[in-house]
Amino acid sequence: MQCTKVSGAADQLLDPAAAAWASVPPETLTMSATPLANQPSEYIKASRDEKQIGKCRSLEVQAAHNGNDVFFRLSWGDESENNKEVIDTNMFPDGCGILMPIGGGDTPIEEMGSKDVPVNAWFWRANYKQDEARNTIAHGLGSTEFSKKSPIRARGAWQQGKWSVVFTRPLSVPELQQEAVQLAVGKTVKVGFAVWEGGSGERAGVKSFSKEWRELALEA
Amino acid sequence: MAEMTEEQKKEQRLKDLANEQKSQKAQLKQCDRQVAMVFDLNKCLGCQTCVIACKTLWTRDQGMEYMWWATVNTQPGRGTPRDWQQMGGGFRGEEPRAGQLPSKRDFGEAWEFNYEEVFYGGKGNTTHLKPSGDPDWGPNWDEDQGGGKYPNSFYFYLPRICNHCTNPACLEACPRNAIYKRKEDGIVLINQDKCKGYRFCMEACPYKKIYFNHVTQTSQKCIFCYPRVEKGVANACARQCPGRLRFVGYLDDENGPIHKLVNKWKVALPLHPDRGTQPNIYYVPPISPPRLDEQGNLDLTKPRIPTEYLKFLFGDAVEPALEILNAEMAKTKAGGKSELLDTLIVYEWKSLFGPLTTDPATIAPRSA
Repeated sequence: MQCTKVSGAADQLLDPAAAAWASVPPETLTMSATPLANQPSEYIKASRDEKQIGKCRSLEVQAAHNGNDVFFRLSWGDESENNKEVIDTNMFPDGCGILMPIGGGDTPIEEMGSKDVPVNAWFWRANYKQDEARNTIAHGLGSTEFSKKSPIRARGAWQQGKWSVVFTRPLSVPELQQEAVQLAVGKTVKVGFAVWEGGSGERAGVKSFSKEWRELALEA
Repeated sequence: MAEMTEEQKKEQRLKDLANEQKSQKAQLKQCDRQVAMVFDLNKCLGCQTCVIACKTLWTRDQGMEYMWWATVNTQPGRGTPRDWQQMGGGFRGEEPRAGQLPSKRDFGEAWEFNYEEVFYGGKGNTTHLKPSGDPDWGPNWDEDQGGGKYPNSFYFYLPRICNHCTNPACLEACPRNAIYKRKEDGIVLINQDKCKGYRFCMEACPYKKIYFNHVTQTSQKCIFCYPRVEKGVANACARQCPGRLRFVGYLDDENGPIHKLVNKWKVALPLHPDRGTQPNIYYVPPISPPRLDEQGNLDLTKPRIPTEYLKFLFGDAVEPALEILNAEMAKTKAGGKSELLDTLIVYEWKSLFGPLTTDPATIAPRSA
C-alpha cells in the first residue's frame, strides 16, 4: 500500500471532500468479521454469530503525507448514519480505526498486540467532537488504553449512504515514544483497519477488520 | 515430538488465550468474604424511601438523571426497566445466555416537570403539575396494579438493587476486565477508568441493574455503598428504610441475621436463581392472605398469591421456605417462642445490620 506524497496543508486535507484527495490512488480492502474465537469475553462468544459480525465488507483507503503529516482517508458504504444523535442506552455510534504495531514488531493483527509488542490504534467515532480522534495503545485483546493526549485529528462526513473519514497526525510524535507509532518518509509500516457499524450494535472487538497487515510505504 | 502445523499452532494459541482469560476472570471473581442483604417482603410498604435515599446520595450527577440504582416495584408487574424479566442474560448451565439492552424509554426517561408554570407563572389555577413529553413508562409506572381477580386480587412490593452476584454475568461479559468483586467483601464494582461503555455487561445482567451514563460514556450501577460499609455504616437504602426490612451483613457471620435467615433457617432466597449468577440479595417471600370463595367465605385450601408465581420468582425453594415461616408463626400463635420470627420482627433496629451499625453522623467527612 502506497502513502502518496502530496503538497496540501493538514487543515486542507483533513476535509474528506478536499479536491486534493482526487489525486491520491485508493486501494479497496476486503473486510472480514473479527474471529469470534478471539473475543475476550465468553458472553460475546456465546451471544454472537460470527456471520452477523462485520457489516462493512469493503473499505476504500487512501494514504498520503506532505512531509510533515500523514493522512488516511477511509470510506465505506453505510446505509444508516449513527452519529451524535446516538444517545439511547441501546444505540451505538459508527466508527473506524487504524492499527499499527509500535516499533515495527511482529504480532498477529487479530490479537491487538501483546505484552512484548504493543500496538497503536487511532480511533474515530461518529459521536466524537468535531475533529476529535483518540490515540490508544494496546498490549493484547481487551487492553486498549487511551493516551492522555492525542496527536491525531479526524473528520468524518456521511453522505448518500457513505462515510468518509480523514485521520491526520504529524509523522513523528517524539513526545509519545511509548504510546504511538513513529512514521518517517521513505520507510514502511505495518497497518490494519477496522470499521464499526453502530446501527448493528458493533462496538469493542465486534467489528469488521482488514484481516492481514499491509505494508504501507511512505513515498520519498 | 513432531512439530505443530500452522493450523495446530493457531488452535493452541486460541486455547492459551482462552485459558488466560479464564484465569483472569476467576481472579476478578475471587473474594474472601461476601456482604449480603436480606429483604423481608412481608414488611415492605412500597414507600420508596430507599429509592430516594440512594438517588440523593449517588445518582445526582449529569448523565445519571434516569438512573435508579435502588428500585421498588409492584409484583406481579412489568417492573423497571420495563419487562426486564423477559430480557434474557445470565447463564444456562455454564454457558452465558444472550440478553437484551433496555432502551431509555424502558427505564423511563427522567421527566422534567412544569414547576415554573404552576408555582411561579401565575397558572396555578389553570394547569397542573405534569411531566413534559408524553411518557409511557417510568421506574414505578404500574404501582399497585398487581394481579389476580377481585376478591382475590394480590400484590406485593419487590425492592431491588444490584445483586452483587457470586458469579456475576456482567463480570464475565466485560471484554476489558473492568468489572471485579472486591476481595474484602465481594461487592461488585465497575472500574470507571477501565470501562469504555461497551454495555455487554448491561446486556448480560439478567436483573438489568446496570445503567449507561451518556456523559461519562461508562456503565454504572449500585456500589453497595462501599464507602459507608468501609466505615462500618449500613447502606443508605437499608438505614433509611422505615419498615426495618433490609438486613445487611456478612454471609459468614454466624451471629448476624443474614446467616441466620439464609443459611440456618433457609427462609431467604435469591431472586430468579435459575439465571445462574448466584445473587447475594435474598428475599423472605411474601406470606399470602387467605383466599375468598364465591360466597365471600375464607378458603384456606389455596394461598392468595399463586405458589407458581412465587416459584417463578424464587425457585422451588420457596415452598419449604413458606412452610417454615407458617410453622413458626403457628408456634408463636400457640404461645411459643421463635428465634426466626424474633429475627424478622427486628425489635431493635441495630439488629438489622450486623457489624454495620456506626452512625454516619459520627464519620468525619473526607478531606478534599
